[in-house]
Amino acid sequence: MLTITIFLPLLTGLVVLTLPRNRPDLVRGTALFGALLTLIAAIILWVGFDPSGGNLQWRMTAPWIPAIGASYDVAIGGISLALILLTAVLLTVVMVYVFGEHDRAHAHAFLFLLLGTGLIGLFAARDLLLFYLFFEVGLVPMYFIVGIWGGEHRRYAALKFFLYTRAGSLAMLLGFLALYLAMEPHTFSLPAIIAAKPLAHAPLAAALVFFALLIGFGVKLPIVPLHNWLPDAHVEAPTEGSVVLAGLQLKMGGYGLIAVLLPALPETVARFGWLLVIIALVSLLYGALAALAQSDMKRLVAYTSINHMAYVALGVAVAAMTGSVAARQLALNGAAVQMVSHGLLTGGMFLMVGMLQHRAGTREIDRFGGLIGRLPAFSGLFGLLAFGSLGLPGFSGFIAEFQVIGAALQLSVWVAAGTVLGLILATGVYLLLMARTLMGTPSPGADALTALSPREAWSAGALAALSVLIGILPAVLIAAVDSATRILAQF
Amino acid sequence: MPEAASMSCMDLGAVVPEMVLAGLALAMVPIAGWARGPWRRFPAWVALLGLLIAMGVTAPMLIAAPREAFCGTYAVDPFRGFYQLVIEAGAIVTLFALATHFRGTEQEAQAPIALLMASVGGMGLVAATDLGLIVLFLQMVSFPSYLLVLLVRSDRPAQEGTLKYFLYGAAALAVMAYGLTFLFGLTGSLNLRVIGTSLAGTDRAWIALAFGLVLVGYGFEMTLVPFHVWAPDAFQGGTAPASGFVSVVPKVAAFAGLLRLLLEALPQNLVPWPVVLAIVAAVTMTFGNLVALRQITLKRLLAYSSIAQAGYMLMAVAVAERAPDALPAVGYYLVAYLCMNLAAFAVLAQVERMFGRDDYVAIRGLGRCAPWPAAALALALLSLAGIPPLAGFAGKVFLLMAVIDGGFTWLAIVAALNMALALYYYAAIVAEMYFREPEQTEAVAPGAGYAWAIGLCTAGTIAFGTIPSLALSMAQLGSGMLR
Repeated sequence: MLTITIFLPLLTGLVVLTLPRNRPDLVRGTALFGALLTLIAAIILWVGFDPSGGNLQWRMTAPWIPAIGASYDVAIGGISLALILLTAVLLTVVMVYVFGEHDRAHAHAFLFLLLGTGLIGLFAARDLLLFYLFFEVGLVPMYFIVGIWGGEHRRYAALKFFLYTRAGSLAMLLGFLALYLAMEPHTFSLPAIIAAKPLAHAPLAAALVFFALLIGFGVKLPIVPLHNWLPDAHVEAPTEGSVVLAGLQLKMGGYGLIAVLLPALPETVARFGWLLVIIALVSLLYGALAALAQSDMKRLVAYTSINHMAYVALGVAVAAMTGSVAARQLALNGAAVQMVSHGLLTGGMFLMVGMLQHRAGTREIDRFGGLIGRLPAFSGLFGLLAFGSLGLPGFSGFIAEFQVIGAALQLSVWVAAGTVLGLILATGVYLLLMARTLMGTPSPGADALTALSPREAWSAGALAALSVLIGILPAVLIAAVDSATRILAQF
Repeated sequence: MPEAASMSCMDLGAVVPEMVLAGLALAMVPIAGWARGPWRRFPAWVALLGLLIAMGVTAPMLIAAPREAFCGTYAVDPFRGFYQLVIEAGAIVTLFALATHFRGTEQEAQAPIALLMASVGGMGLVAATDLGLIVLFLQMVSFPSYLLVLLVRSDRPAQEGTLKYFLYGAAALAVMAYGLTFLFGLTGSLNLRVIGTSLAGTDRAWIALAFGLVLVGYGFEMTLVPFHVWAPDAFQGGTAPASGFVSVVPKVAAFAGLLRLLLEALPQNLVPWPVVLAIVAAVTMTFGNLVALRQITLKRLLAYSSIAQAGYMLMAVAVAERAPDALPAVGYYLVAYLCMNLAAFAVLAQVERMFGRDDYVAIRGLGRCAPWPAAALALALLSLAGIPPLAGFAGKVFLLMAVIDGGFTWLAIVAALNMALALYYYAAIVAEMYFREPEQTEAVAPGAGYAWAIGLCTAGTIAFGTIPSLALSMAQLGSGMLR
């Protein structure tokens, strides 16, 4: 079933390619159908998931490259499950959102579906070489998406994205190879590596591997100073591209930190824990401050991603450094929930910005005002997602950030204080954004803005609703995530 | 040597593939002279048949017990079987593209002959265990390659490229022959294995000198820096299918030949070739990639890219004696390289035929006006860049793994940086094809031969990439006997 879930999007994508050229609606319909099937498959995985059953559920293994000990090995734990569900949800939302757009629909649908396979495969892979393979499959389509359907500077942004990502993933590959060669007998099996911790007694090699993996995952998360590609890629990407980029691809980095780097090298992460804490705090503050300075709404949301994802890095650092298992679990829970929450909320924010740009032809914050009177439905959703993003209780973001700060408090008051400062700045960013766009006097062209179409309302509404659901009933998500972090916290 | 002894080691069964191909090539020389009209296609079909037969005869060598033929001068072993299969496969793919490229011209009948002769030379080099034969076969793979590049005789760049190729080749091979005489002088034998066992105790300075001189010859065929200078001009001057062939078959033959020479005749405790080759590999890949960044014609860009690719492969040669998986890694990568590089050149050949040019403008917007060739070129380039799940990715993993295992971690890091750098120019081509609108849409219809060449190579790039064991297991069979 897990394998079916992984390859359903790709399969749909291949079917889409064979459809006739002159039927774009058929293409969109088929792609949406494939995404829905994937979502159903992911829900079946969830239903069959046992919260006390560990991190290797729904496992399937098959030989892949037996000569070098690499196998097709997929399984899920609670965090994988949550991220796979998120992937299926966002894929479906994107397919709803782009319904009716006809520019090279075949290639567009195929690339998004291919990317879906890469992401779900990545979250399920339990073999490092397979992990790497899905990592790249999950990223390369975005190069084409940005380059073909992107904005004015799309070629520059696409190339920058590709080069950054590639440099990071090659560093990661070297790290994986070092882990592989340190195992006796050589194997890429992630559970085996986590059990053996082969570099525990080779501090220099462990440090090199740590930095290699940190670069690999850090580019994607992104952490300052590896974040430079992100604003360009987000701003130039088409709306649906930004949604997937922020909502899902940043999670590849976070998932790597939590599920690979931390369990494989816990004492090395602890050794460089303060470095990671500082990086996370700098990213947290930098993301918020940079967002404050933006006049372009999309760029603003892009920078807040850096702020939000820094909680994941902070959670991992805190988990590695604190001695108490409970605090570790709290930190990891926060990090994992933050990934899901950010996927829903920021994905939603990018949709809102895209809708606005589609109507007004601009994303400059100063060109808008008083939207609440003209576009009540839009403003309601916009406000809901913005309040969620700033960490208001009742939304998923609050649950996540609260847990990370709580765990950080056990490490040091100052770290917690720094985090809270970042939180306050991010709150300011969103409050100002809402004040300048939704409130105030309507801008001259506002009369021409049309109300939301059903597909727009449904796509963004679904994301906001899920975030509220997690905020009100966190147990839905926490139960699954908890089952994974309980194991990850034991090292 | 007495008459009886020389008769007893006449083992013609050992050279059936070579005899078939050389015999067919010689038989077609007079035919090519007077063939007119549709008969010009005849040599290509004969060559295809001959190559398929040769593959059928070669394949069993992969599992045969190793032996020596012709009094110890010619090996029959899985190593030979593997690399000869690679050469034959490369020749078949080139044949498809070449025959279509010259459709209806005088060269249509001549090109397959040169192709077969060069392939026989390469196949001989893979099997030769005798210094004299090595020199002979190196010449034999080179001369028809010069001819292939020169096939468009009226073309100035082709003449210039060929002249450069020829002069460099002549000089490099002479230097190499000179180096081989030192090995003979030190040991009194022409046989690689005998040299390997009797070099111990001789003067190491002479061995090092001999190794250095021999490397010039192989370095020329493999386009290692600083012996690469001919390649960009020759690749740019030749037609795209011929350049593709020259970028693959002589390289495969030279890699196999160098491996045999190093592992059988030059123990690494006598001459520090691992370090030397590691440094040459690092310089070659870095130079190739840096210069490729600034190219504007695609054949020239692919020339520098193939120089960089040679650098990657040389890394694993450098650790051939230290890491158990180095030999299969080289073998696998050569297969992957064959698929992706020939696919790229086949698409370029088609573009050249469609638009009459081979720069960025020709492929601009190709994704719109010729979606299938564009997709094939994009896949080939992404594979050359090492993006999974394509063959170039698995190949790079195997190479890096062998290099780290062999103790050259610094080289693996240099290689990884190079791979990141190389993406820039590969992605630039992909961007031209997909992120821009086409400038010219009037296209000449391509031929079926391109479709076959492109299809075969692309299928290989994807199949060997997703299921690497398909090629890796053969490469492993082919690596057992030398060590």
